[in-house]
Amino acid sequence: MKHLILIKAAAAALVLTVAAAQADPARDAIIATYGKAAAQPLSAARGEAFFMGTHAGGKPDTPSCTSCHSKNLKAAGVTRAGKPIEPMAVSANPKRYTDLAFVEKWLTRNCNSVLGRECDAQEKGDLLTWLSSL
Amino acid sequence: MNVQPTGPLNRQKSAGKRQQPVWDIFVRLFHWVLVAAVAIAGVTGFLAGATWIDIHVLAGSVMAGLVLARILWGFLGGTHARFSRFVVSPAKTIAHLKSLLQGHSDRHAGHNPLGAWMILALLATGLGLAVTGYIVFGGEQKAGPLGFATSYETGHSAKEIHELLAWALLALVGLHIAGALFESRRTGENLPRSMVTGTKEVRDGDHLSAPAKPHPGPALALGMMLGSLLLAGGWNLSARPDFQAPLAPLDAGYAQECSACHIAYHPSLLPRPAWSALMATLDEHFGEDASLDAKTTEELTAYLSAHSAEAFDTKAANRLTVTDPAHPFTITRSPFWTRTHADIPDAVFASQAVKSKGNCAACHGDAASGRFYPGTISIPKETKP
Repeated sequence: MKHLILIKAAAAALVLTVAAAQADPARDAIIATYGKAAAQPLSAARGEAFFMGTHAGGKPDTPSCTSCHSKNLKAAGVTRAGKPIEPMAVSANPKRYTDLAFVEKWLTRNCNSVLGRECDAQEKGDLLTWLSSL
Repeated sequence: MNVQPTGPLNRQKSAGKRQQPVWDIFVRLFHWVLVAAVAIAGVTGFLAGATWIDIHVLAGSVMAGLVLARILWGFLGGTHARFSRFVVSPAKTIAHLKSLLQGHSDRHAGHNPLGAWMILALLATGLGLAVTGYIVFGGEQKAGPLGFATSYETGHSAKEIHELLAWALLALVGLHIAGALFESRRTGENLPRSMVTGTKEVRDGDHLSAPAKPHPGPALALGMMLGSLLLAGGWNLSARPDFQAPLAPLDAGYAQECSACHIAYHPSLLPRPAWSALMATLDEHFGEDASLDAKTTEELTAYLSAHSAEAFDTKAANRLTVTDPAHPFTITRSPFWTRTHADIPDAVFASQAVKSKGNCAACHGDAASGRFYPGTISIPKETKP
């Protein structure tokens, strides 16, 4: 029994450590801002579907987020011009989504490229919730 | 100087003939190293691609050094090396040609009058090639001893002369070989072999030149002095900042904003109007939205305008200013780009290592600097899509 408790404690400590490594007040604040403006509670599942899905209305070379970021978010993507893109998953790239101006710049550009319009707070919040959980 | 022959041309074969020294060791070494240097410069210049430029320039420089040394030896060398002993007047040369045509010309131990003029022509053409070569290298590539002072326009014009001289040298070399073979046949003596062994047969009735004593010591001293002066001077000039070449690093803001998706193209790669048009349409930027906030857009437009192709004199800045009117700021659609990349298979551009035509840095090691020196080109071997 004592062993089991120790293992549980160790496992809990590990989970906490990982969570602590990923948690970032700046990122939490950005996601919270989007969450406040969103109609529904933020959903990682919806964010994943949005990211992986194929969209109409955008530019022909970029029908999906995965066109450049690929489907493996823990690995680097590559731009159409051949430049590597740092991984999107926070576990692989802890400084992701900690700078609001940077997040806004790229979401504005890329939503325009993929969807032909800006994304709303709901979509942005869902996306970041999912990408932060990876 | 020449003693007139007394008898008919002696055609006896070499068996048991006494040999006389004709070509000294310097003349022979000079001749065969020159053959190698000219062959390398010729093959790399006429046949190999621009990536061989370093080897071409090195071979040409070796050739120039050899020619200068031979000129020095032409004044300080012995009988058959000395200009004054083998270069004869045009009138005598014509007389020699006439007697040749009439089939009763006599034999010369050293150069015959036609051969002498050939030597001068070869040396002069070699020197001309070296001089124009350095002008082209300096003007077009902003490299070498003249890179600091030569404009692209000057270099580009000199290239025409350089090419003309190269064809002339090719023709002269052909004539020189033909002449040597003809004279070998006519006199029954293997002249190319003489240029290896240094000796020729002693025959009666030969034209004899007044003997001259060689001065190897002073020649070596003078040669080393002039050689080190030339090398030091060349080194010093090469080290000077190149004429209107991009030397400053890229603006940090430009480099950061414009290298997220593609390499940070050097501002000298497009003319000013092209940059303005590009910066005004960032929301439709090569199939993606690359918008920036107004302040950043303004700052970067100002930087690009001040450092556009108009501000530099590199080959790229000169040739890429002519753009495709239908795609005024697509570098890879410009006539110059299209022509210079025509031989590269599409598979290379599509490969993992390159990915797109716009990825200059995949092959051009110095793409970031805007220089695009051909010697830094290395096309990735791997062509996996």
